Amino acid sequence: MRRAFAALAFALAAAVPARAADIKNIDLGKKAEVWFAEDHTVPIIAFNISLPAGSAYDPAGKGGLAAFTAAMIDEGAGGMDSRAFHEALANRAIQFRANAERDYLVISVVTLSENAPEAMRLLQLALTHPRFDAEAVTRVRAQIIQSIQQSQAEPPRVAGRAFAREFFGAHAYAHPVTGEIDTIAHISAEDMRGFARGHWVKSGIKIAVTGDISQAATAKLLASTFLPVSGATPPALPEVGKLGAPGVHVIAMPVPQPTAVFGLPGIMRADPDFIPGYVANYIVGGGGFSSRLTQEIRVKRGLTYGISTSLNSLRKASVMQGSVATRADAVRQTVQVVKDTLADFAANGPTPQELEDAKTYLTGSFPLAFASNGGTASQLGAFQRQNLDIGYVARRNAMIQAVTLDQVKRVAKRLFDPARLTVVIAGTPTEGGARPRPTPPGAPVAQAPPPKPVDKPVAGAVTAPKTVKKP
Amino acid sequence: MSAALLACALAAPAIAAAPPQVFQFALQNGMQVLVIPDHRAPVVTQMLWFKVGAVDDPPGISGLAHFFEHMMFRGTKALPGDGFAQTIAKNGGENNAFTTHDYTAFYEQIAKDRLPLAMSLEADRLVNLDLSDGNVSTERDVVLEERRMRVDNDPQSLMSEQMEAALHLSHPYGRPVIGWAEEVRRIDRVPAQDFYDHHYAPNNAILVIAGDVTPADIRTLAQAQYGKVAARTLQPRAEFAEPPRLAETRMTIVRPDARVPVLARNYRVPSYAQASQGQAEALETYAQVLGGDQTSALYRILVEQKKLATDAGASYDGYARDAGEFSVYAVPRPGVSLDLLERAVDQVMAGFVAAPPRAPDLLRAKTGLVAAVTYRRDSQYQMASAYGQALVIGLTVDDVNAWPGRIRAVSADAVRKAAASLSRNEAVTAYLLPEPGK
Repeated sequence: MRRAFAALAFALAAAVPARAADIKNIDLGKKAEVWFAEDHTVPIIAFNISLPAGSAYDPAGKGGLAAFTAAMIDEGAGGMDSRAFHEALANRAIQFRANAERDYLVISVVTLSENAPEAMRLLQLALTHPRFDAEAVTRVRAQIIQSIQQSQAEPPRVAGRAFAREFFGAHAYAHPVTGEIDTIAHISAEDMRGFARGHWVKSGIKIAVTGDISQAATAKLLASTFLPVSGATPPALPEVGKLGAPGVHVIAMPVPQPTAVFGLPGIMRADPDFIPGYVANYIVGGGGFSSRLTQEIRVKRGLTYGISTSLNSLRKASVMQGSVATRADAVRQTVQVVKDTLADFAANGPTPQELEDAKTYLTGSFPLAFASNGGTASQLGAFQRQNLDIGYVARRNAMIQAVTLDQVKRVAKRLFDPARLTVVIAGTPTEGGARPRPTPPGAPVAQAPPPKPVDKPVAGAVTAPKTVKKP
Repeated sequence: MSAALLACALAAPAIAAAPPQVFQFALQNGMQVLVIPDHRAPVVTQMLWFKVGAVDDPPGISGLAHFFEHMMFRGTKALPGDGFAQTIAKNGGENNAFTTHDYTAFYEQIAKDRLPLAMSLEADRLVNLDLSDGNVSTERDVVLEERRMRVDNDPQSLMSEQMEAALHLSHPYGRPVIGWAEEVRRIDRVPAQDFYDHHYAPNNAILVIAGDVTPADIRTLAQAQYGKVAARTLQPRAEFAEPPRLAETRMTIVRPDARVPVLARNYRVPSYAQASQGQAEALETYAQVLGGDQTSALYRILVEQKKLATDAGASYDGYARDAGEFSVYAVPRPGVSLDLLERAVDQVMAGFVAAPPRAPDLLRAKTGLVAAVTYRRDSQYQMASAYGQALVIGLTVDDVNAWPGRIRAVSADAVRKAAASLSRNEAVTAYLLPEPGK
C-alpha cells in the first residue's frame, strides 16, 4: 500500500492552469501595467492594485506615514465624510482593503460584478480627493497606537521589528511598516495629504483584474477610473548598503516562549539564481513537515511547534528570513541547530530526491493559486510587484522543472552562510549548559490581530507557513 | 441624505446569485457525500467532516478530540510517521485539519488528478492509524505546547476561555476544545484507541468535494476508496442539559501582557439547530446591524460620535448543535474606563429594544449578509466549509440554500424582538485590564 501512495508522486505534470495561460494585457498608458483574466463562472470581480506608496518612502522621523495614509483611504473622500464613504461601500457590499507593504501600497477591491462601476467610482474618489478629516485622523491614530502597544508584548512581533532594524541598518526598509508610537503621534493630516499627492499616482501603477467582466469593459472602466489620477513620478527608492548584522542580538522580555528571527542576504528577483534559490529555500525551511529545519528541530529534537524560512525579494534588497519559537531554556541550542543545518546544506546541498520532491510540490501546487477570482488577482498582483512579465505565468513551472542539482548546490553555498547569520531573540534565554530535552515547546509566528476577543476552532495539527504567494 | 441617494441605497437589493449546484448521496456504509462542481481550475478540495468534537471528550480528559485530530497525522501501518503530509506535499497539495466542540474536519487541496490519492490516504487513516505509545506521548507534548502558544500566551484567548467556562455552567461547551493542560497530560494510548474505535467511521463522516469534478466521477471514486471501509458501531453522543442561568456572571482579569483593555460580553442564545423559524436569522441580522462593520451602531455611536472606543463590534455564532452565542466587544480610547464604556454599550443595545432599526441600516446589514453568500462561491474551500459545517450539525443543503431568502425576510420588528430576547442572566461580562503602571 505504501508503494501505491508513492507511485503517483513523480508523475505529476507541470500543469499550468488554463486561466493562467490566458492572461491579457490591457493598455492604460506607458507607465501602467494591467493584467486581465476573464471568468464568468461567479458574478464577482477582483481587482489587485499596487501603487508606489510603501513604507520605504516614509521620510525620516515619519515612520509609518505610508501605512497611516493607507489606513485613511476609506475614511472619507470628495463630498463624503468617513461615515458616508463606509456606507457607500457597505450599501453594495463592496470589499475594499488597502495594505502598505515595504515597496507598494496594495489595494484589493472585490465586488459583485453589477457594482463594479460604483466600486471604481469610490476608488477614484479615494485616490484623487482623500479628505483626512480631523475626526478620522484622530480615531485611526488611536487605533494604530493601540495595535503597536499590544504588539510590544508579543515576542514574534518584537523580534520581527528588531530584525529589520538590525538587518537593514540605515535603509528605509529598517523601520516597521506600521511605524513607532512616537512617529505615529507626530504625523499630521498635512503629511498624509502630501504623501498621497506624491505616491497615490498612476506612474508605476500595477493592476490585476480577474472575473466576471469582458476585456473591453475592463479597459473602459479602468481608463475612466484612472484618468484623473495624478501622473506624477514618485521619487526613486534609495539604494541599500551592506545587509545584515551578523551575531545574536537579544531583546530581554519575561516570556516563557521567546522567538528567534534569523536571516541572511537573499537573492534579487531579477537574478537568474532566484529560482534555484527559491527551490533551495523550500528544501531548507519553506516546506512544512518535509523541510530540513522542521525535521532537525521539531521532528528529531522536539524543540519547537513550527519553524519556517522564506526568500523575500524587495525592489532594493532581498532577504532569506526565518523564525522559530521555543522555550526559554532551549533558545541557544535551537539557534545552534539552525546554524548547523544551514552549514550542512551549504556544504552538501540537497539530495536528488529532495530536489525532485521540491519540484513536484512547487509545480503541482501552482494551480491552487488560480482556483478563485480573488486568489488569481492577488497572485497576479504579486507577480507584477516582482516586475515579472506577463509571459512568466506560463513559463514558471518549466523554469522550476529545469533547475538542476548542481545549480541548487551552487546557490546553497552562496545563500546559506551561517557565519553571516543575523539573529534577533525576543525573550530571555535562560539555558546555562544547554542540555537537549525531549519536550517540544514553541509557536509558529502569527500576525497579531487587532484587540478583539476571539473564540475560534482550534486549527492545525500541521504547522504550515502562512499562506504565501507562489514565486 | 438627498432623495436620489436614498432611492439609490434602497434600490441596492440584496441580490443573491442562484445557489450553486450541489449533489448529495450516501454510500452503503453510511458515509454521506456532497459534491459541489467548480470547473474554473483543475483543482479540487476534499473535506472529511466527522460528527465528533470536544463535547465528546470523556470526563477528565478534555482535549481528547483535538488531540486525536493531531494523531491522524502520526502515521498508519502502510504510511508511517509524517508520511501523510509528506505525500500530499510531494503531490503538490496542501492539507490541514481543525476541531470544534461539535465536529472535526480534515481537508486537502490538490490537483484534480491527485484526488484518488488523497481519498486513498484519508480512507487509510480512517481505519489503520498507528497508535503506539511513543506516538501518543510525543504528540501530547506538542499539543501542550500548542496550548501554551494559542491560549496561555494570549491574554484575550485566556479571557475567552474563562468566559466560556462560566457561561455554559455544566455543558461541555464550557470546556476548551484544546483541553485543560492538566487533563491533556492524562491522555494516553487507551482512551485514544477507544476514541478512534467509537467515533472514526464512515457512518460518522460527511465527505464534501468541491472543484473540477462531476458527481458521477465522485460516486465512482468514493465507492472505490471509502466504500470498502466497514461501518462501525458508534458510541451514541451524550445529550447535555443547558440549565437556565439565574444570574449574570462578571469577571475582571488583570494581566501584565494585556497592553490594551477590552470589554467583552457573551450571551447564550439559540443556535440555528435550536431556533424557531426565523429566530436565528434575526439574531444574525441584529449582530450585523449592531456591530457587523464600521457602519454599524456600536462603531458609529461609541467610536465615531461619543469617542469612547477605538473599536467595537458584535457577532452571532449560530452554527452549533446546542446553544449558540451572541458576542459584543469594545476597546476603550485611552483614559476611558471599561465601566463607562459598558454603560454606553448597554445604552446602544437598549436603543434596539426600544425601537427597530432604521430601514436603510437594516437593508445595508442584509445586503452584506446575503452578498457574503455570493462571495464565498469564489472559493472551493469556503463552499465546502459552508455546506459541511451545516450538515455536520444536523442542518440540510436546503437550509443552506434557503438562508439568503430567510435573511431577506427578517423584519425590523424581528430584529427588535431579537434585541429584546438577550438576557443579562444568560450572559458573562468580562473586563480585561493591563496591570496598573504598565
